[in-house]
Amino acid sequence: MMKFAYYPGCSAQSTCKELNASLRVVADKLGLELTEYASASCTGSREIRAVRPELFLALNARIIAMAERDNLPLMTVCNTCTLNFLDTKKRLDEDPEARDRVNEILKSEGLRYQGKCRITHFLWMLLDDIGPKKLKEMVVRSLKGMKLAAFYGCHIVRPPAHFHFFDSRNARSIEVINEILGCESIDYSGRTECCGFHTAADNEKVAIKLTGRHIKSAKDGGAQAIVTPCPLCHTVLDGFQKEMEREVKQKLNVPILHLPQLVGLALGLAPETLHLNRHMVPVKLPV
Amino acid sequence: MGKIGHDFDPLSSRYLGRIEAHDSNEDRLNQLKVGDFVTAQISRFDPAVDTKPYFETYRVPYVKWMRVLDVLIYVSETLGIEYAHRWYCGVKKCGTCAVRVNGREMLSCWEPALPDMVIEPLRHLPLVRDLIVDREPYERRVMELKPLLVRTKPYLGLPEPITDREMRAASYAMDCINCMACFSACPVLDLGDQTDFSGPAPLVQLAQVALDRRDGMDRSVLIKNTASIFECVSCYRCEEVCPVEIPIVSRVIEPLKALAFATKPAENKHQSAFLDIVNSRGRIDPSALILKTQGLRAVLNPARAIRLWIKGKISPVQTFFGSAVPGIEYVRRLFSDVKGAL
Amino acid sequence: MKTRVTDIIIVGGGAAGTYTALCLKKAGIEPLILAKGLIGKSGASIFAGNLNLHGHVFGGNDEEAAAMRDYIVRWYNHYLIDQDYVLKGERWTEEVYYPELEEAGLYFRRDDQGKIVTSYGLARGAALKQQGQSGILLMDLRRKQVRQSGIETLQETAVTKLVQNDRGEVVGVVALHCPTGDIYFIRARRGVVIATGPADRLASRATGTREQSGDGLALTYRAGGELLNLEIQWWHASDFKWPPCWQRMHVYPNPLVGTKETARMYNSDGEQFFDQSTDAPNSYAPYPTQLKRLAEQVANGKADLNGRYFTGYDHIEPEALRNYARQLKAFEKVGLQAETARVETATTWHYRQGGINTNPHTMETNVAGLYVAGPVGGHNNGSLGYTTYDAYLCAETIKNKAEMTALPNGSDFVAEAERARVTGLLRMLPLNGVSPISVKTKIRDLMYDKMGFIKTKQGMESALEEIGRIREEDTLRMGLNNLSLNENFGWLDALDVYNMLDTCEVTIRSALNRKESRGPFYRTDYPDVDNENWLAKNIIFKHRNGGFEFRTEPYKLPYYRPDFKREKYLDVLW
Repeated sequence: MMKFAYYPGCSAQSTCKELNASLRVVADKLGLELTEYASASCTGSREIRAVRPELFLALNARIIAMAERDNLPLMTVCNTCTLNFLDTKKRLDEDPEARDRVNEILKSEGLRYQGKCRITHFLWMLLDDIGPKKLKEMVVRSLKGMKLAAFYGCHIVRPPAHFHFFDSRNARSIEVINEILGCESIDYSGRTECCGFHTAADNEKVAIKLTGRHIKSAKDGGAQAIVTPCPLCHTVLDGFQKEMEREVKQKLNVPILHLPQLVGLALGLAPETLHLNRHMVPVKLPV
Repeated sequence: MGKIGHDFDPLSSRYLGRIEAHDSNEDRLNQLKVGDFVTAQISRFDPAVDTKPYFETYRVPYVKWMRVLDVLIYVSETLGIEYAHRWYCGVKKCGTCAVRVNGREMLSCWEPALPDMVIEPLRHLPLVRDLIVDREPYERRVMELKPLLVRTKPYLGLPEPITDREMRAASYAMDCINCMACFSACPVLDLGDQTDFSGPAPLVQLAQVALDRRDGMDRSVLIKNTASIFECVSCYRCEEVCPVEIPIVSRVIEPLKALAFATKPAENKHQSAFLDIVNSRGRIDPSALILKTQGLRAVLNPARAIRLWIKGKISPVQTFFGSAVPGIEYVRRLFSDVKGAL
Repeated sequence: MKTRVTDIIIVGGGAAGTYTALCLKKAGIEPLILAKGLIGKSGASIFAGNLNLHGHVFGGNDEEAAAMRDYIVRWYNHYLIDQDYVLKGERWTEEVYYPELEEAGLYFRRDDQGKIVTSYGLARGAALKQQGQSGILLMDLRRKQVRQSGIETLQETAVTKLVQNDRGEVVGVVALHCPTGDIYFIRARRGVVIATGPADRLASRATGTREQSGDGLALTYRAGGELLNLEIQWWHASDFKWPPCWQRMHVYPNPLVGTKETARMYNSDGEQFFDQSTDAPNSYAPYPTQLKRLAEQVANGKADLNGRYFTGYDHIEPEALRNYARQLKAFEKVGLQAETARVETATTWHYRQGGINTNPHTMETNVAGLYVAGPVGGHNNGSLGYTTYDAYLCAETIKNKAEMTALPNGSDFVAEAERARVTGLLRMLPLNGVSPISVKTKIRDLMYDKMGFIKTKQGMESALEEIGRIREEDTLRMGLNNLSLNENFGWLDALDVYNMLDTCEVTIRSALNRKESRGPFYRTDYPDVDNENWLAKNIIFKHRNGGFEFRTEPYKLPYYRPDFKREKYLDVLW
């Protein structure tokens, strides 16, 4: 039994409930034991970290400290949550004064940030913990014939301070998983580009005007679906697709899959179990 | 890039692709040895005779530790092809030699030459000729942001009382060499005149003074309106390409946002709403966020709202009657107790 | 031809040119800056790693002030400097220059207690934000100040001729604006300032930036101005040999700011032959000493001026290297670790101590209407503090001079002839033709080879012959592949060739004329420093009949004098 502390994040528990639900059933199938912390707050997305950076560190350190208390690695399913944890960890690991002050604040809850927690994302966990060989063995229903494009989302390949890519277009982890599951990976220009989520609440124009090109490029490259490891990207790619069609003057109808849903399909789970019916763009898969 | 930290495991899937694509500095450096040739496709354009850019291909003999600039100089000077490309210092100080190589912005004097290269000019700036872009739109944007220190307290003479710690906030931005690689890489600028976003580079210049505690000017209007900083999507493309490794998002853009917010929180509905919701509930409910940010505007797009509601993507019940996470008092205490910079 | 009128034309947009313009504008006089490159980007100004601390600034004591003065007079200018200028400049930088910079927002690096971090040793330097960045930040400020003041500028614009009226007064310039191919005739009511700086790219390895080709000197010489000490040409001894475009990547020999640590140099057998802390401990910047120790290795066959010797920091504790990270990134970038590597280095043509003969208190030249600001003048080697002082002096002189009462005559004809010459160089490559850039490369290779740090009589004489041959034969065969008017660097190269030929010729002639060795000037046929006969200006100027003429003028030594009359050059530390 592989044990993880599991942090779903705000989006997976509201707008993208299907992500949390599918993650749960897939984790079961994969033999993971997940510990979730009901009192874990939002990690602060972009907003809190910008305007109250000190509060941001405390909120994130609190969550990491919960996982450390249970001696568990912390697994996420959202890119921005992941980056927030990584930034917090880097800062507190390198700045002992900041660490001491955070721990002073966390004391009243009986928590302490120690700096020993491994932060991981479901995407990385599949390859680092389960491993390509074991994952392949667990594939029940090969997705052979499915042409799948990966939409990474910025915060899982940049900034270079965490991910060490000189050119983030060189990232390949999702394509590797696609291929293990039997899919054909489609290369296209938008793979590691931005979905525009973080300005969408205020002003949707980036999300609509720019992201549409990426979906079009995937479709033009032959993609039958797009898979993404981030619910924020999913919200834009799936939720705004109708508006994007107006911008790119072309019908898109490209279903957007959460990564756990993709894995779930290959593990033999039914689409309903994976809540594929909860997407804005109907998911009609060739397999 | 730069020194890699202690927890770096090159085989972790977090970095999968680096090795296969020869992404690291070492790998890029070792792709060629003396005796090899570099194939460079270089963009050509003369507005007087061409309607659009096209490529010319050259084969250049590799020399030890060859940089992209050495390739360009070989073509221009040794072959006498007279390419128009800019460079002055050749050593990462003047910032004028930035180009795109295989789609990625870089200083041609700083990055190693690769066996196959497609060399193009920077984006988002008018193309003057071949690889030379007009810097004027950038310089204009910088000046609009009033990039000189405005002292409201009298300067009492040299040396003024200040410590390195106090200057730290502004000092990251001081590394900037105005190369405009970030300006080219920023996807928001693809919107052209459909956006007022100034782009990362002018914001770095602004940060040099705005984050300097000796500056006394209220720059919130410049940051929020003139620079339209909240149009930044935090994609980190700027950080990726910055040759002097300025953490642009976390040390320039976010602190400027904080400055704008602190000066006029009431005018920054989105950020205020976000903070309020997390303070009261612990987690973000996107519909609540949209309602609080956009107010009436959100309701004015009913078709969309209905679509989202039908699919269960938004839940008015949760928005209006949802509860806070257990242990919310600990979260609220953090909100009230954590003050100042850590 | 486009025409403009302004009060003062400033040729050069570096530290000197921009400050002169700012002073003039404040006084209600209209300047127009013509920069061959880009303001704040091209030229030597951005290269300053540290700012020299003159006088008692930042709590310096008398000993420290004297040490910097000694550096300026002895180590940096080899006594070829007006000593009153040194003292006055020191006072001005203390009272005006540093306070102005800080008031404008530049940050002299402090420690966490607020104390200024200075370099180790009595002669002090301080960094703007961090060692290696000072020049960049200073020029960034000037660039913005110039814009804010509304000063007119034309960038990527090369001045091709100083236009004089029939009285010989400089009344304007002809200039080529590269981005458009427009040729300008710009009249100046009050004169022209040459502020083109001390650096040049006249050798195949040079610290001068891409566009530099001896223009300021050539223009002045042709206008009848006097040039001096052109042979006193500095060299860097520890610049990266590879890659080629890193010929300006300096492995600094002086102490890393805040520490006592210095780089070491090794010959091809791995034997150490230079370390500033032992070989020149009192020098703030030990370049001549470095060169002399290198010359000895070259004589022993254990190094070449062009390589086969190495420089590194591997003897230093890694902890101490940490604060120097920005400079050390170069090592990392080519796969080396600064903690363990020694990189192959070579000599690089650096600043010229000599230049245009200038009155160091007024910045006037012997040509009416022609002024100088900064180290293109032969009154001081490059140094941002004194450069700025020059700019202040120049502006003061101009402010106190009456405006020329009537637009002088004769100049239109001259300008038109120049326009024709410039346009004539925009011509196709003929059969058996040569590209201008290949001629520039030929000149640069020649200069590096025969006018390198170690000069011989034969070498210099053959260089002079070669220059003559290039002038007579190659220039006639020059032509271009491309006749575009937009950013035509080939066309600019053709113009540069003539400036390079003129500047190189007068430099070689000056070198042959100075019959001694001094500072960075070393000739094997006169291997002594001769303070009896040659502590003097070695002046060259164009003879009325077209040839050239020399004259010498000894320097007054009111406060500092060398402690020997004659000494073997290689034994003198400075």
